[in-house]
Amino acid sequence: MKKDKLVIPDHNTLFATDPYVKQREGKKAFEAPCSEQETAEALAYSKSAEYKDKNFARTSLVVNPHKACQPLGALMAALGFEMTLPFIHGSQGCTAYFRSHLSRHFKEPTPAVSSSMTEDGAVFGGMANLIDGLENSVALYKPAMVAVSTTCMAEVIGDDLQAFISNARQKGAISEELPVPYANTPSFSGSHITGYDAMLKSIISTLYTRSGIEAAPGSGEGTGEKLNIILGFEPYTGNFAEMRKIMAAFDTAYTFLGDHSGNFDSPATGEYSYYYGGTKLDDVPKAAYALGTLSLQKYAVKKTLEYIGGTWRQQTVGLSAPIGITATDRLLEAISELTGLPVPAELTEERGRVVDALTDSHPYLHGKRVALVGDPDLLIGLVQFCLDTGMEPVHIVCSNGDNGFKEEVEALLASSPFGAGATVYIGNDLWHMRSLLIGEPVDLAVGSSHLKFAAKDAGVPLIRVGFPVFDRHHLHRYPLIGYQGALNLLTTIVNTVLEGLDEQASGFNHDLVR
Amino acid sequence: MEPIRKDELDAHACGSLSPKTKPCPRPKPGEAAGGCSFDGAQITLLPIMDAAHLVHGPIACAGNSWESRGTLSSGPSLSQYGFTTDLNDTGIIFGGEKKLKESIDYIAGRFAPPAIFVYSTCVTALIGEDMDAVCKEAAGRLGLPVIPVNSPGFVGSKNLGNRLAGEALLQYVIGTGEPESGIPLGVNLLGEYNIAGELWDIEKLMNSAGITLMSRITGDARYKEITWAHRAKVNMVVCSRALLGLAKEMESRYGIPYFEGSFYGAKETTYSLRQMAFLLNDREMERCVDRLTEREESRLLQELRPYRKLLKGKKAVLYTGGVKSWSVISALKELGVQVVGVGTNKSTEDDVRRIAGRVGDDTEYIPDGGASRIIKTVRDRKADLMIAGGRNMYVAMKEQIPFVDINQERHRAYAGYEGLLRLAKELTYALANPIWKLAASPPPWDQEVPHDR
Repeated sequence: MKKDKLVIPDHNTLFATDPYVKQREGKKAFEAPCSEQETAEALAYSKSAEYKDKNFARTSLVVNPHKACQPLGALMAALGFEMTLPFIHGSQGCTAYFRSHLSRHFKEPTPAVSSSMTEDGAVFGGMANLIDGLENSVALYKPAMVAVSTTCMAEVIGDDLQAFISNARQKGAISEELPVPYANTPSFSGSHITGYDAMLKSIISTLYTRSGIEAAPGSGEGTGEKLNIILGFEPYTGNFAEMRKIMAAFDTAYTFLGDHSGNFDSPATGEYSYYYGGTKLDDVPKAAYALGTLSLQKYAVKKTLEYIGGTWRQQTVGLSAPIGITATDRLLEAISELTGLPVPAELTEERGRVVDALTDSHPYLHGKRVALVGDPDLLIGLVQFCLDTGMEPVHIVCSNGDNGFKEEVEALLASSPFGAGATVYIGNDLWHMRSLLIGEPVDLAVGSSHLKFAAKDAGVPLIRVGFPVFDRHHLHRYPLIGYQGALNLLTTIVNTVLEGLDEQASGFNHDLVR
Repeated sequence: MEPIRKDELDAHACGSLSPKTKPCPRPKPGEAAGGCSFDGAQITLLPIMDAAHLVHGPIACAGNSWESRGTLSSGPSLSQYGFTTDLNDTGIIFGGEKKLKESIDYIAGRFAPPAIFVYSTCVTALIGEDMDAVCKEAAGRLGLPVIPVNSPGFVGSKNLGNRLAGEALLQYVIGTGEPESGIPLGVNLLGEYNIAGELWDIEKLMNSAGITLMSRITGDARYKEITWAHRAKVNMVVCSRALLGLAKEMESRYGIPYFEGSFYGAKETTYSLRQMAFLLNDREMERCVDRLTEREESRLLQELRPYRKLLKGKKAVLYTGGVKSWSVISALKELGVQVVGVGTNKSTEDDVRRIAGRVGDDTEYIPDGGASRIIKTVRDRKADLMIAGGRNMYVAMKEQIPFVDINQERHRAYAGYEGLLRLAKELTYALANPIWKLAASPPPWDQEVPHDR
């Protein structure tokens, strides 16, 4: 087959060709359209200050949400453990959405099952579905652990998971040996990060309680100076790799409490094995011997950290995403304090190289106005990165942030003159963000793929960071945290700026050297 | 919420009136699940591009799905907006009707859509929100169609949701408007959602044959055109049987004859166009269709030749969730591709019967979902490639099986004659890409015989 014959027009090119353009034009008159003038007027109005006020006066309706729901986070938490089957109790469509959502982001299969409740379940409760579901899924997928979370449906009818699971054991549907942690994760409260937290805490506490191990911080029986590390609701598999690299440099033992990088970045070997990597189940109770626990997200794992600090009596340190030099410095200091080890020279050297890169590029970043949207911990990291590099955060929108988050970001912004022009919005959506982008223009928008429409309306380039990223490939395989992450983010941002200069160049300024 | 009329649904669920036919199959607990009825209703209605689609429920249903459909629009994009009441605990305890009312008012005031579709979800159905009453009141007050779609996820499968959406159209939309006078009356397409722009290829063919496409139900549709769907002369039910109930009801109410057809494959396409002309009872048009189909078929035959040579005897496993399986089988057969395994877990018995009529006796049916089951069939039957949707795509990649996406994430249109050619190219491309050879060979240092370059 000749190569040229294999060029297949996709919808991007095909329907832009003449016959289709004519066909569309011809059809328009019959489609009851608004006149072009009306459309233009409405569009102009939607970009006015008056409209912005009306948009912000909106209370009941959410337009273009920027959050997912609890069980999606719970599913991710479950996939952080060895041979663990995420089991979602409720109606089946939810599970299908989560699987699609995560697969579209990671470009990987997402194993998860549902108890597929229907009207019968709504009327009589979901026990039969849960028990049958556990029996079927254990037979089909042979997991070492099943992590049960719930959808709204099971929560509204008030299914008692603890009783149902113990009934399943009594009936012999599942064995006594199979750990079945469960978490109540209704999507009508919180967001995907709340669900992540609930499931992680349940897995850790269930495995710990079942083991009969007695927590003894720092005793490290056979494990040495062990540190526990939590990455949280982590859309970047590359961040796990970066943490591994950092910990290898410190040359100390550690346990990831929740590591889904195996499941979401597995090799193509010719054989799909359903489960990849994850924290070993036996390692979880032993983590109670560690010196302390370090989390790279704090808003996302509040309850888990409380549990570890309380029941395991460990020192816990909750950071937000360590993005940029300052935040990575803090990460390394935290590791150093928790383990008593000095920061390894190789990391100091890496820092120097990345600082060098930042100084190379800083003229193009200085004073750039930035709009940001994302999860709380990610936003704190990004704001810190902006302040590090002389970029000015302007609009910061967080659909799932609380007042504590707002105060923390405001304090962070107040610490730098570059933060003076910023406003933090919590509980707002991307339609609000659109008004902000149009009303007070910025140079760069930073956020998930969902932001692409508002960014396009406002004519702002989008730096894709966070979750979900559906329309670009492999970004999640590159770290965003650590010095390497700072370099990656810097490269993306500065080259977007330079790309913009080339696009706008009129001739004399189409520079070869920038 | 209006009670779901279960007996009536069972009677014609997924299309068949025969009491012996099984209704839309129930999902089995403990398996990797497919979409729900809410999703199904959205699949059917979201392609009404200029309407607003408001999801009354917690964040899950809209938050995890908005904007991610493969259905394309040639103009308005309001249907891509994620409108939701985002109910929280307070809404669950005290009811969300006030929030719903305010949301409807806001959309009507700020976005001025021709209509608002309001979707119930598991939660709002369970807590007994009277969505019908809220919609009715709002519609009267605002002078705007506000249409309740009672298809909460727990009632069942995607297929059932398609059907419930059809019911909503029948109850609230179809028959409420009239086409401008002077427009030639023609054919409605039921169940074609313009994935990857397929409807535009079909439209092009119909235009060439002089057949008027009246109402698109619902690919790239405008609300208004659906209001006058009852004036069409013919209904064509495309591929999925889920909207067959709608066609049947329109026949009995408005006397519109219908037929079932598909545009996958040349034979099916020709049949569909001929059937349209035949039912329109227009001799001149029939001759026109004959000329068109002969011309297109012979041209296609010519252009397909090199690809058929490459595809002949290749074995494929097809897993599309049911509704499309029988029509895609025909297309694959024309290309010489043998379907050795086919997913039927979401197919009705009617669909399975159609599949059986199109595949050989030794074709394996895959009744249950789950990636491992599909992979097993691929291995057992030594299939050369897998044709499925996005949720199974990455499993194929792990297994190094050439893969062609047939569901909504795809970006290429396969309908009609030119679509078949594109499908042939896509299959060839999938098989011929050097990446599969690279992926399937171990690294040089693990090879027993020296790597042959």
